[in-house]
Amino acid sequence: MSTLSLRGIVRQFGPLRVIHGIDLDIAQGEFVVFVGPSGCGKSTLLRIIAGLDQPNGGQITIDGRDVTGTRAAERGLAMVFQSYALYPHMTVRQNLAFGLENQRMAKEEVARRVAEAARMLQIEHLLARKPGQLSGGQRQRVAIGRTVTREPGIFLFDEPLSNLDAELRVQMRVELTALHKRLQATMIYVTHDQTEAMTMADRIVVLRAGRIEQQGSPLELYNRPANKFVAGFIGSPRMNFLDGQAVGGRSVAFEGLPNLDIPAARETTEGEAVTLGVRPEHLAFTDGAGLPGTVDIVEQMGGESYIYVTLANEARLTVRRPGQTQLHAGEPVRVAIDGAAHLFGRGDDEHAITPRRLP
Amino acid sequence: MSTLGRLIDAPFEALQRRLGAARMPYVFVAPNLLVFGIFVAAPMILNVWYAVTGGTQLMPAERPFVGASNFGELLDCDQFGVIASCRQDRFWRAVANTAWFVPFQVIGLVAVSLVTALILNRRMAWRGFFRAVFFYPVLLSPVVVALIWKWVLQPDGVLNALIVAGGGARVPFLLDPSWAFSWTVVISIWAHMGFYTLILLAGLQAIPADLYEAAEMDGTPHARVFWRITLPLLMPNMVVVLVLGLIRAVQSFDEIFVLTGGGPGTATQYIVQYIYETAFANQTHILGLAAAASILVGGVLMVLTMLQLAATAWSKR
Ligand SMILES: Nc1ncnc2c1ncn2[C@@H]1O[C@H](COP(=O)(O)OP(=O)(O)OP(=O)(O)O)[C@@H](O)[C@H]1O
Ligand SMILES: [Mg+2]
Repeated sequence: MSTLSLRGIVRQFGPLRVIHGIDLDIAQGEFVVFVGPSGCGKSTLLRIIAGLDQPNGGQITIDGRDVTGTRAAERGLAMVFQSYALYPHMTVRQNLAFGLENQRMAKEEVARRVAEAARMLQIEHLLARKPGQLSGGQRQRVAIGRTVTREPGIFLFDEPLSNLDAELRVQMRVELTALHKRLQATMIYVTHDQTEAMTMADRIVVLRAGRIEQQGSPLELYNRPANKFVAGFIGSPRMNFLDGQAVGGRSVAFEGLPNLDIPAARETTEGEAVTLGVRPEHLAFTDGAGLPGTVDIVEQMGGESYIYVTLANEARLTVRRPGQTQLHAGEPVRVAIDGAAHLFGRGDDEHAITPRRLP
Repeated sequence: MSTLGRLIDAPFEALQRRLGAARMPYVFVAPNLLVFGIFVAAPMILNVWYAVTGGTQLMPAERPFVGASNFGELLDCDQFGVIASCRQDRFWRAVANTAWFVPFQVIGLVAVSLVTALILNRRMAWRGFFRAVFFYPVLLSPVVVALIWKWVLQPDGVLNALIVAGGGARVPFLLDPSWAFSWTVVISIWAHMGFYTLILLAGLQAIPADLYEAAEMDGTPHARVFWRITLPLLMPNMVVVLVLGLIRAVQSFDEIFVLTGGGPGTATQYIVQYIYETAFANQTHILGLAAAASILVGGVLMVLTMLQLAATAWSKR
């Protein structure tokens, strides 16, 4: 159980700068998820925290101690690798014990910790096997078990579930959350899967191209994305975006479509270029005023339905409705906002334009 | 399909219609089988025939059958363990020399190749250049290897010139039996290590980098990483190196023969040189003895190889 803070972390490979000055504080026992598209520097940042890679600038502090430049082993961290990185020639038991033996720990203590981790992760019956004789999920458990035996201050995970099939991923997600509750340990978890981030995190840190775009609890990010990138990244299916112009702070004008009223007034200048963002679950079909279009495809999930609509101006929308829909492809529809709407500027940062405060 | 493809397609199709699909694989292995038959299988069978026939005639049909008497002559000693008491004392001298040479050469070869591979596997400047340098001797003809080293080692060679320049006395590297023996070991390692280094390097590079990172996270000391991770995972390649190295060490001949001619005396005469001289170089070509000797060598190699493979299979359990 440790705290971690990063100050101005910079990393470049030759002329290519991949981490641009990251500042971050992680509290004791927090489950923090780094999320972002491929190549945004998640792994690099995690490896810098781990001590497997050294930053070109900045400072890393663990429990108030400056550990910048120290070796990985001195930081009291343990890491689960995407590939698991189990030693293939050792049995599960030896894999679990290897790191402890390095520290010349007493045999009884090693045995105790191995037994405890094996029990916690339900791999007791696998202890005599080698990694090659395990399934993907079992390997993953062993890899996690190996970190648990170390009793580290901070657990680091680099996309630990990406090699598992969908069903197993859901199951391991639940188990990891349970493990976190039980150990009360600080955990940093890297993924590019926003579902994993939403379901597991106390706090999500959204990265893009080596910068933090936004951080906050899953629902904060979902409800109040700071910019278009975060809005598009968090939530599945993806938020719909329509480019238009602000009209009177209360509605948006589109080319080839009628104006659309938005639920809350925004601080906009008349005619400002904006992007309207609405999540699929915040759209509905209406008989009254709305955007006209035609149904393209209908996906019936049973409990809910996804309806893909092409609007009169060729823009596309995804609508998500509870239950089973009666609509079918080719049908003309009108789409209206039924929930939250977001407006984003069209400058470089595409920042969210927040609702105007009532006087 | 390419023009060439269309061109050869028709005859093969006709062939397949005549022979049936089940027999087609034999058509494709036939060319290779033919080469193998002419250059490997036939000589081996001929060799067996030579070994059980006597005389000095070259044509197989003209040679009288003598049964196992060639083997008998090779193994015939009055006193066990005394080379001078053997009828073919030169054979036993060569066997004894080889028995000394092989362990030194193989252990040295494996050790040097392993260390070189470990170094070349590290991140370092000029890595590609050094890899080429260590592989280069493998590309040299054995005769060239021998001539290079003769130039270095002969009484007025490069090495002696350096020693003299440093104020030392000339050393008869190739004229003193133990010096000459040591140099054959060194040169044979030098000439072949590039190949084995390459095999080990491939093995090292096949070990996933994240295993080392996991070990680093665990604070594993360097020596322990080597003994507990690198070496066990390199074992399959080590076995290949050991088996091939052993076979080739027993077969050592060309560069050593050109360098020392087996001398001084018989100090560097190894088993293949005995076979060569008995069959082709001496005044009478005693083909039967040479063939029998090569069968014995082949048998010993086969047993040693099987022992090694059995040992690794056992250690993997
Ligand atoms: N050793 C390296 N040398 C050069 N460039 C590197 C190196 N490691 C990473 N990079 C670059 O740094 C950037 C970030 O890489 P990183 O592996 O951190 O991405 P990531 O967010 O983990 O992506 P993914 O989701 O695909 O794992 C990439 O553009 C990558 O090409
Ligand atoms: Mg990554």
